[in-house]
Amino acid sequence: MGEALLQVDGLTKRYGALVAVDNVSMQVRKGEVRAIIGPNGAGKTTLFHLITGVVSPTSGTVRFRGSELTRLPPHAICQRGLSRTFQLTSLFPRMSARDNAMLAAQARYPRRWAPFGGSGVFARARAQGEGALEQLGLSHVADRPAGLLSHGDQRLLEVAMAMAQDPEVLLLDEPTQGLSVEETAQAVETLAGLLDKARLTVLLVEHDMEVVFRLAHRITVLHRGGVIADDTPTAVKVNARVQEAYLGGIE
Amino acid sequence: MRQTSLLPALGGLAVIGLLIAAPLGLPAFAMTLLTELLILGLFAMSLDLMVGYTNLVSFGHAAAYGLGAYASGYLALNSSLPLPLVVLLAGLLTGFVAIGVGWVCTLATGVSFSMLTLAFAQLMYAIAFKWTAVTGGSDGLAGIPRRPGPFGMTVLTTKTGFYYFALASLLGAYFACRQLVSSPFGAVLRGIRENEPKTSVLGYNTRLYKIAAVAIAYGLGGLAGALYAPFAGFANTELLFWLLSGQVLIMVIVGGQGTLIGPILGAAFFMLLEHQLSSYTEAWALFFGLIFIAFVLFAPEGIWGLARRAFSRASLTETRHG
Repeated sequence: MGEALLQVDGLTKRYGALVAVDNVSMQVRKGEVRAIIGPNGAGKTTLFHLITGVVSPTSGTVRFRGSELTRLPPHAICQRGLSRTFQLTSLFPRMSARDNAMLAAQARYPRRWAPFGGSGVFARARAQGEGALEQLGLSHVADRPAGLLSHGDQRLLEVAMAMAQDPEVLLLDEPTQGLSVEETAQAVETLAGLLDKARLTVLLVEHDMEVVFRLAHRITVLHRGGVIADDTPTAVKVNARVQEAYLGGIE
Repeated sequence: MRQTSLLPALGGLAVIGLLIAAPLGLPAFAMTLLTELLILGLFAMSLDLMVGYTNLVSFGHAAAYGLGAYASGYLALNSSLPLPLVVLLAGLLTGFVAIGVGWVCTLATGVSFSMLTLAFAQLMYAIAFKWTAVTGGSDGLAGIPRRPGPFGMTVLTTKTGFYYFALASLLGAYFACRQLVSSPFGAVLRGIRENEPKTSVLGYNTRLYKIAAVAIAYGLGGLAGALYAPFAGFANTELLFWLLSGQVLIMVIVGGQGTLIGPILGAAFFMLLEHQLSSYTEAWALFFGLIFIAFVLFAPEGIWGLARRAFSRASLTETRHG
């Protein structure tokens, strides 16, 4: 694996007496698919919010290619090349799937704010957006309003929007959340195909162990806000502390 | 498909043609009414950029109108600048002030944003009352002239000339806004309207876009006010009052928000209805209120939305039969 793209050091988030994320250090290397797993309430989503600037940390740092991201607003972090999806689908429901992807792509162009003209911007965004829709098998629904897509397609559209930004790190927050068993299987196949082909650097939060073991190269296990394991999927499976953490859980 | 997309353009040209020809056929009082309508249409259209395109509901858009009117009145009374320059400068000043207003108001979202816009309008209302040396206090500014200026541009200062000036301002602003909402900037505004947190996470500094939208909307609203002062010959605190803020919001919603044309029609509808109803009853506002409620409940897409639906149905049956 390549150099460390994303470096998290001693990241901590306290809400009063509750320590949601406790002194977490980890890194994501170039070309690696890393999953963050853990029982409910382990702090996975909070960690994700800290990395993407949605929530600011009590202490600790997040660095990307050596430069600090800590406390930058979400839009600035995205401009550095980190694109994310949300656990609860977040789209532009009345706009077509294509327009959703185009607006995502447009964000990366210097003339994204141009108050007139813009046919050049739109042409590029269209090519990029439609490319991303195709990668996720959504070309056939490009003209449909995003709010009217099936739940599975909506989840994939969010990934397509992130892909349209040609991200250096793709951050996926529970991409199969709320999907049926068949929809999950389908979405996982689509994602696996995409990750194999594009050789992306991915940080993935996921609940569903089958999804994790199918997609991830490395796994960070969180328990009560802290890291209890950082290893390959096969090693994590037999790790005694991990089994203990999950024992009696709802999983 | 081709003919149907040509039809709106032809319709638009016909309307513009009629407006250009209007002074030939209409009596003087009707021309006065029509001029005021153009100004009010510009005012309502400017608010649509915020309400309809960015989902920034302002309860204080009278601030833009009043500030533009006072600025233009003050300049006309205290300088020898020609009319077009006075109007332009007043509009620019309003837009410039609105950068500060937008900066403060966008600290909040939703209802709190609306309340802050209202607070700013009330603040300006209070200033207009107290700062007598500049605003004339409760008397306002009276006897505002339309100066031809050094180049002898009297052509714009006559009654008919002023009508054409107002028409040109509205058309210019309309085409500029049309360009704006279909630009990359406009696409981001629509993103903010639909889902602001997502727009932000995609990498857009949404607050800056919102401040820009507020500044442009206020600037054009200020331009409308700047036209009104030399049109009416006065500027008073009524132009800053919250009643006007409410009325212009109603014009936008009744006309059809997010369409630019709709709010202009809404302004026309409001004016004509006021004109007609007030000759029958003192309580004309009550009937207008009922009409407003009916629109919100049964036709939230507004007059222009209804009209567009009727057009497309008509053209659909035509292609089926033709």
